[in-house]
Amino acid sequence: MHSLEVINLCKHYAETLLFKDISFELHPGEVLAITGWNGSGKSTLLRIIAGLVRPSSGKVEMFLQGESIAKESRRRFVGMVAPAFSLYEELTALENLEFFSKVRGIAYDRKSCLGMMERTGLSENANKLCRNYSSGMKQRLKLAQALLHNPPLLLLDEPGCNLDSKGMKIVENIISAQRQRGMTVIASNEKREVDYGDRVINLSE
Amino acid sequence: MKSGRWITETGSSTYLSEAAAIWLRDLRGEFRTRYAVNAILMFAVTTLIAVSFSIGSFRIGEAEQPFLYAVLLWIILVFSALSGLSRSFVKEEEAGTMDVLKLSARPQAVFLGKLFFNLTLLGALELIIVPSFILLMNYEIKLPGLFTAMVVSGGIGLGGGTTIVAAMIAQASARGALFSVLSFPLLLPLMITAIKGCEKAAVGANNPGWPEVRIAVAYSIVMIVMSLFLFPLIWEE
Repeated sequence: MHSLEVINLCKHYAETLLFKDISFELHPGEVLAITGWNGSGKSTLLRIIAGLVRPSSGKVEMFLQGESIAKESRRRFVGMVAPAFSLYEELTALENLEFFSKVRGIAYDRKSCLGMMERTGLSENANKLCRNYSSGMKQRLKLAQALLHNPPLLLLDEPGCNLDSKGMKIVENIISAQRQRGMTVIASNEKREVDYGDRVINLSE
Repeated sequence: MKSGRWITETGSSTYLSEAAAIWLRDLRGEFRTRYAVNAILMFAVTTLIAVSFSIGSFRIGEAEQPFLYAVLLWIILVFSALSGLSRSFVKEEEAGTMDVLKLSARPQAVFLGKLFFNLTLLGALELIIVPSFILLMNYEIKLPGLFTAMVVSGGIGLGGGTTIVAAMIAQASARGALFSVLSFPLLLPLMITAIKGCEKAAVGANNPGWPEVRIAVAYSIVMIVMSLFLFPLIWEE
């Protein structure tokens, strides 16, 4: 059983304070929505939770069966989607998933990768180079990549970015499925996405 | 604190299998885009042709040939490497794939994967440039075994040095200039040793124990081991 604890997080760049004293706990089955004005630090907060950015003060702890997971290992228990992330454009979608399976230490299984592509509505374009994908298809592939290792913690930064209504339905299904086995943090200003959250933290307040 | 090897539901992975996945991905990407290969080969071939036409064998005295040819060969190899090997990390930053890679792979596996990729490129470069140089310059080598060992060990050291510098400069602005400026002092001892070794191989000098090859091997080992320790610090924010 996993849990996430964020304690008094504060982040500033030079003189600019992004946010301070952010604290919360998250347990399996819970969805937390983070909202706030542009530049309020939503994406940065997600990146800190993922271990990609150091906080100015405070700490993030993730627990597995009561034991704290070291920061360098924590990243690998996290699945993250963000607008700033890109996948390898010179590879096909299937090759991207194959690559991320292998570097994450998952025994590569073409069938389960194809299953993941089907789940995100990309199975017909599995062998197409990513550079030929539309922005919505790229977003779907990012979702597939983030889910490959069944992460206990799913961080979704603007998950509906570039998605059509079918794509939004896929996001909704992913969040529902994640409720059954893990935790989700969504950063967004879209009402529909914020509404998925059981709790909301507004960084502009 | 739980920090050991990450084991998934379906199996476990080692640094080497993750590094191999990164190496193969880079090779596949390079095969399709040819960014680094084009940069390195264009530089190497044009320099080689310029050198062979302007200071070919007819302009250099026989006594000076072993030393001067060794200098020219290593200048071509080192600067060709500098023109393209930074791409291994820079392309991750430019393409926006760095963060996903940070989330997915362990730092040491990333370093090893990139090192293997750079060594593959350097191996290919040496396979093309060294025989061409020997043919075009009419470069006579009395001890081919020593010469080959020097080129191989020097190439490994060159790969190790450039890979860690490429990682350091990937997130900086003015990367191109920084890469050359930081790499040059780091590679200078290796370059001097390699030149000396190649000169001895050409002259056929009595050279028991191949000290230059041993120095280059030691340099490569130190560079790669130190980089494996340092890289996680560079890889973090």
